Amino acid sequence: MDNDLQRKNEENPLNFVKIVPDDQPHIWILNDNLCLTECENKPCTYVCPSRVYYWEDQSIKILHTRCIECGACIWGCPYENINWNYPRGGYGICYQY
Amino acid sequence: MSERYDAIVVGAGPAGSAAALTMAQNNISVLLLERGQYPGSKNMYGGNIYSLPTAQIIPAFWEKAPWERKIVTEEIWFLNRDSAVKAGFTGLRFGKAPYNKFSALRPKFDSWFANEAVRAGAILRCNALAIDLIWDKIGLVAKKVDGIILDSGEEIRADVVVLAEGALAFLAQKAGLRKPLMAHSYTHYVKQVFGLPREKLESRFNLEKDEGTAIGMVGFATAGMIGKGGLWTNKETIGISTGGYLSQMVTKGLSPLHLLNRLTSHPLIKRLLEDAELLEYKSHMVPKGGYQKIPALIDHGIMVCGDAAMMISGRRGTDLAMLSGKAAGESVAEAHAKGSYTKDILQTYENKINHSFFLQDIRNGKASKLYYEHHPDSDYLLTKLINELAYKFFSVELKSNTELMQDMKEIVINLQPMDKTLKDLYHGIFNWGVF
Repeated sequence: MDNDLQRKNEENPLNFVKIVPDDQPHIWILNDNLCLTECENKPCTYVCPSRVYYWEDQSIKILHTRCIECGACIWGCPYENINWNYPRGGYGICYQY
Repeated sequence: MSERYDAIVVGAGPAGSAAALTMAQNNISVLLLERGQYPGSKNMYGGNIYSLPTAQIIPAFWEKAPWERKIVTEEIWFLNRDSAVKAGFTGLRFGKAPYNKFSALRPKFDSWFANEAVRAGAILRCNALAIDLIWDKIGLVAKKVDGIILDSGEEIRADVVVLAEGALAFLAQKAGLRKPLMAHSYTHYVKQVFGLPREKLESRFNLEKDEGTAIGMVGFATAGMIGKGGLWTNKETIGISTGGYLSQMVTKGLSPLHLLNRLTSHPLIKRLLEDAELLEYKSHMVPKGGYQKIPALIDHGIMVCGDAAMMISGRRGTDLAMLSGKAAGESVAEAHAKGSYTKDILQTYENKINHSFFLQDIRNGKASKLYYEHHPDSDYLLTKLINELAYKFFSVELKSNTELMQDMKEIVINLQPMDKTLKDLYHGIFNWGVF
């Protein structure tokens, strides 16, 4: 499965989505400390289909303009530590097919 | 001066547009709100709309709706690493009116559907995200919904608000109608759409003009998770998706994108996508809470339908959304005639849903859901089993038939206790049933 792994790291799913970026974020971590001290696996970093979340410098970083609005992170977070809202009307994901 | 309508519908998906269309046909002034740039711009589904339910809303819709292909072939694949046991059916009768299923692209279909509501008199407003409800006092303690607030702060008033806001249902939660769900109450799907020239697609899937095929997949497609893969043929595109219970993705450490790439790299899937160009990637969740998690459908001046009301049974969701939207629209028309939108008047909607065929299915589905919560490996084990059996069955070996039968018996016995296999199979048949 070496090939798979390579693809996993190289692929960029965002080449195949149209997103109208909103300069106002629509996602927040409620308590950064919880991610650091309680959350072992950090599921937000892998259940998110477009990799909005990543772990760096002891905290979860959020790239909200990558979000394709499935909402998986809201319930995927074992500590309900993500405050997720829809982007403003007209912004965000805009599917063509 | 703020506008006032008889009704506001939140969300111009299948449920919302069906509700708005039904109301507009009954001369009710209705505002249909869509947070995306156009209806369907935020949506993803499997890939098929169902003819009979859709024709309940718009008779003979196939004469004008933007569908892609009429589905005449359906298959289910039990996919293992390098093999697949396939069951399928081709019914050419499904290629003639009144048809059975159509493949359709949501941005096109939803835009058309919402436009039908507009043609009947509804007002469609896109780029409009409703973030809160307006409550008015109607007694000492009782409150009634009297409109919505947009993300711009603008207030719009209406006698009744119909929530067709989709799976995440933030407003239904805010209104106290829907309890927050957990990860095991959602299935999470990702999908890729590939472009392939028409002639190539038709010859590859053995289709005549306008005919389509739909393939459901269990086993390899979900990497040991309870869920399904699917493949749908459109005019010049192929949709392929996979997913399963969000809770299992979390505990098994599965990345949905990786899962989908793994599926499209499978040797039996890869050949179907050869030379096809990746056009789009999408993701969506389906509320699979089952009967117990269905929200309260009504309160004073407010109703919930579609995914927000968890009107999901097996693969069916888009059509149940339409049917529940229509029922909501009819109840609004009745309430309008009576001049009141209190809970007891809107009760007719709840009654209609309670007596619908699909609520019966949702009710019956709860045993299966519970089973899979406790036996998340059952699909994987069954798929492995029947593929091993098939390899044995079709292999040409230097053994007598009696010896071969003995080998096959051993494969079954060695997998797991026999009664567990039978139970897995029993629940599987219900779960795979509706594709």
